[in-house]
Amino acid sequence: MIYSKTPFDVIVCGAGHAGVEACLAASRMGATTLLLTGNIDTIAQMSCNPAIGGQAKGQIVREIDALGGEMAINTDVTGIQFRLLNESKGPAVQSPRAQCDKKAYQLRLKHTLELQPNLQVFQATVTGLIFEAGKVVGCRTNLDVEFYGRTVIITTGTFLRGLMHVGQNKNEGGRLGDFSAKTLSASLLEAGIELQRLKTGTPPRILGRSINFSGLQEQKGDPEPTLFAFHDTRGAEDLFHVELTGERRLGWTPGTEQVSCWMTYTTPESERIVRENLHKSAMYSGEIAGVGPRYCPSIEDKFVRFADKPRHLLFLEPEGRNTNEYYINGLSTSLPFDVQLDLVHSIPGLEHAQLLRPAYAVEYDFAPPTQMFPSLESRKVENLFLAGQINGTSGYEEAAAQGLVAGVNAARKVRGEPPMIIQRHEGYIGVLIDDLVTKGTIEPYRMFTSRAEHRLLFNHGSAELRLYEHSNNHKLLSYNRLSRISAKIKAVEYWRAFLETTKSIGGTWAELIRRSDPKTELPAEFLGQTKEIKAETLYRVKYRGYLEREYRQIEKLKDVEKINIPSSIDFLAIPGLRRESALKLHQFKPQNLGQASRISGVNPADISILMVLIAAGKRSRGSPGIA
Amino acid sequence: MSFSPDTIAALATPAGTSAIAVVRASGPQVAGLVSGIFAETPLPRMARHADYRDARGQLVDDVLFTFFAAPNSFTGEDTLEISCHGNPFIAQKILEDLLARGCRTAEAGEFSKRAFLNGRMDLSQAEAVMDLIHARSERALAAANQQLRGSLGRHMGLLISQLVNILAMVEAYIDFPDEDLPAEDRQSVLSELKELAAATKQLIATSHYGELLREGIKTVIFGEPNAGKSSLLNRLVGRERALVSAEPGTTRDYLEERILAGPHALRLIDTAGFNLAPTPLEQRGIEKTLEQAAEADLFLWVIDATRPLPGLPPAVAARLTTANTIAVFNKTDLPPAPRGALPQDFPVVTICALDGAGIEELQTMIARLADSFQVETGDELIAINVRHSHALVQAQQALESAGQKLSDKTDTELVASDLRCALEAFGEISGKVDNEKILDRLFATFCIGK
Ligand SMILES: Nc1nc2c(ncn2[C@@H]2O[C@H](COP(=O)(O)OP(=O)(O)OP(=O)(O)O)[C@@H](O)[C@H]2O)c(=O)[nH]1
Ligand SMILES: [Mg+2]
Repeated sequence: MIYSKTPFDVIVCGAGHAGVEACLAASRMGATTLLLTGNIDTIAQMSCNPAIGGQAKGQIVREIDALGGEMAINTDVTGIQFRLLNESKGPAVQSPRAQCDKKAYQLRLKHTLELQPNLQVFQATVTGLIFEAGKVVGCRTNLDVEFYGRTVIITTGTFLRGLMHVGQNKNEGGRLGDFSAKTLSASLLEAGIELQRLKTGTPPRILGRSINFSGLQEQKGDPEPTLFAFHDTRGAEDLFHVELTGERRLGWTPGTEQVSCWMTYTTPESERIVRENLHKSAMYSGEIAGVGPRYCPSIEDKFVRFADKPRHLLFLEPEGRNTNEYYINGLSTSLPFDVQLDLVHSIPGLEHAQLLRPAYAVEYDFAPPTQMFPSLESRKVENLFLAGQINGTSGYEEAAAQGLVAGVNAARKVRGEPPMIIQRHEGYIGVLIDDLVTKGTIEPYRMFTSRAEHRLLFNHGSAELRLYEHSNNHKLLSYNRLSRISAKIKAVEYWRAFLETTKSIGGTWAELIRRSDPKTELPAEFLGQTKEIKAETLYRVKYRGYLEREYRQIEKLKDVEKINIPSSIDFLAIPGLRRESALKLHQFKPQNLGQASRISGVNPADISILMVLIAAGKRSRGSPGIA
Repeated sequence: MSFSPDTIAALATPAGTSAIAVVRASGPQVAGLVSGIFAETPLPRMARHADYRDARGQLVDDVLFTFFAAPNSFTGEDTLEISCHGNPFIAQKILEDLLARGCRTAEAGEFSKRAFLNGRMDLSQAEAVMDLIHARSERALAAANQQLRGSLGRHMGLLISQLVNILAMVEAYIDFPDEDLPAEDRQSVLSELKELAAATKQLIATSHYGELLREGIKTVIFGEPNAGKSSLLNRLVGRERALVSAEPGTTRDYLEERILAGPHALRLIDTAGFNLAPTPLEQRGIEKTLEQAAEADLFLWVIDATRPLPGLPPAVAARLTTANTIAVFNKTDLPPAPRGALPQDFPVVTICALDGAGIEELQTMIARLADSFQVETGDELIAINVRHSHALVQAQQALESAGQKLSDKTDTELVASDLRCALEAFGEISGKVDNEKILDRLFATFCIGK
């Protein structure tokens, strides 16, 4: 049957971290939105580590908050341990990280979705897409109900032909205990979308009561937690969408009653067990075709590739307040269950540990992301958006960021408006999407600060300020919050100028700060500002030289970034373009000259030729290309 | 179109072939340059005679300069043309000085591109501009590749891989603070950094002038053992410079002599003969021959006309073109073997190294190739050398500043920021280095991942 004759504006397929942000963004922009999920009880499930943030990812979460997403606030109120990483280094590379209560995280997000106006949530497995004239118009489900939508966002994570491995044991599914979306892959292939395989893994979970903590090193949270959401610009109306309805909320005051993680190490015995059983590992016996991430190697990989390292660090992380389940961070493996058991028991503190769930590797389909526009809309199928692991990324944060962007852009597409594109110099989300659509990926893509050429501008505290243009242009935040951010921007600029120009003993305040020896306390009026304003102002003053170098580089690139390449252009037919460049450009189809210039093998002369061609096309007011 | 350009500079005439060389600059900074260099207010379209002094006050040359005010110039921007003496060193000095004053070297065809974008050319000329950009970039690319194939390329490869190593060591501690990494060892990073900065400095000293212009066109004599290579060198040099004997394998190491061919200076290099099944000792000589061939500009392939045509080592064959190679058939006093087909349509000269027959014809032929060669790439080479040394200087400064920070215990990410500037500068010479390379190195060095 057809659910309704009137199509939804946006249909989101999959309720993981990407899907959740996608449907919230779309519905908050006023689009009528439908979220389809195979299982309502696993909305926003943390299939791997119940932790949010960390290097670069922490900054992404703050950017998500700056763009009206939910991940940050949800983490703050369900977090059970908070730590600021890299505290000894400069603000640009400090990142918040939190351990969450896995179930509370999920329940609060589910509740948030249920109360969200314009959003309808429905449990059904999407079995295929419905196309009309090269565009997507809806999807089919296992209940034989068809849903029609003006746009469809696919956020299926690892579920597309998901195949799990525990040694030689194989089970279909995207996650332990869940199903595998098999027919949807066929539907995408039929639409001309290419699919490839990737692999990822997760470690065993054990019972806390069976761990001997004595002798293990404890890792406590920070007494003063660094939060993800910008609480300083939030008013009551921006607080928790859930509370506003007057319903009882799940969650607690951020940073209260933090729990500890514990550290232990592998032993020579662990190494022996792994080595003797390598041939039984799914990864090492050739069972797995997909490519796994280098930054998240299995324990097999660690012992084989770094044979001279005597032991490997493991973290025991609690999965929540109301459960005794622990996650063994660092022990991802695809060894058979009996070997896993021996392996776990070879580790100090885990001699008698009881396994609740085995470790496993999962293989799944992904759609190489160079097939998308930077809006995350498919180049092949109009109105079809893809976000999250299906695009070859890994990590909740990367997924959520894409979901948010896809949700915003689907809603904008329905309204006939141009997409929101975050530039590489504006934030990690910009780097993420630009890397994906211009370079693609061969392993599950994870963000690192070193991927961002302008990372010094990406200190986590500035996310709201950096992205204000987008949040304001696209009205992603409440009117009040936008005006508070605008005031914050002005305040930071005012105090920056003030410190730069006001004299103290031995120079301006700014000079003293850069020499890091103000003889006296900073002016009282400045010290009276919020800690967010103070921190951001001091950052801009102290690092001025570096930040200016970044601004100059950005300025240089801006010109080419602004020159759009008409989509009708045929790179292969451009006279004078070198063959190698023409082929690369044809393959990646850049949308502006900035993107074109980042494709490896395309040189400045090729960009010059394109620039002349585009200018000629404009001047003749005809389509580009010189007849 | 939004277009806020910087100021560009380049040689406007081919180097080394005329009495006058013209250096041109275009962009918003030009008026300031005129007053800065010549201490004069710029007057449009007036040729002025003046001393050119570089930024340090050193006299470079007496020159004629003309200022063109926007939009009445070729590019439609403020433009400066400086005519100096045709000596390539002078042109290079002026260009270097303009860069030191904040210009950047023009990309291939960039003056024409700006002229078009600024509406100084009509639509019908767009295609011609694109052709020109293409042609010039191909030439520049060829010239740059030629340099990179040589010792510069090998040096750059080493520097870049060292720098990537250092960056991986630094970045690991930024991106993976929670990993069980070995304790951060700033001291060893610092000593590697110092080594790298020193190597860069050395490269700046040696790459300062175009080898081709300073040292002459590198011309390699190669061929089978006993073909008469050393005899030919002696003929061209005019004295018994190299040992000659009836024994094949006489020349075991290469030797070099400078000669003139018409107006061109040549570095003539005799090499050990190659054969395709060498003994270990011969193998060493052949390797040296291949090294020389890899960096050569011109090739004289000496062929013993009494023997069948020999095969060529692939590394040499790949470098030969009809524009850079002469096939020299020697021993024409003896009864010839049937002449085999050459792999390409090289120009052919027949000589007898014993009595000197055909040598004059060979000299004319060499001069002719050298001519077209230098006109082809001479000015590109100047531009490339200036750009390279500019980039190397920037890299070196960035490296030193990174070293300073390391010893001052400044934040690691600021050290990394300097190192990335250096990498960017190296990349301007040998092609952009992808960020991914740093991650590759990082994951290969450290056991990362929980
Ligand atoms: N008949 C005749 N003999 C020649 C001629 N040129 C060179 N020879 C003789 O050929 C022999 C080898 O000459 P070299 O000049 O030593 O040859 P090469 O190519 O340098 O040989 P290797 O250094 O051993 O590779 C000597 O005995 C020369 O005298 C020529 O034109 N005619
Ligand atoms: Mg010899």
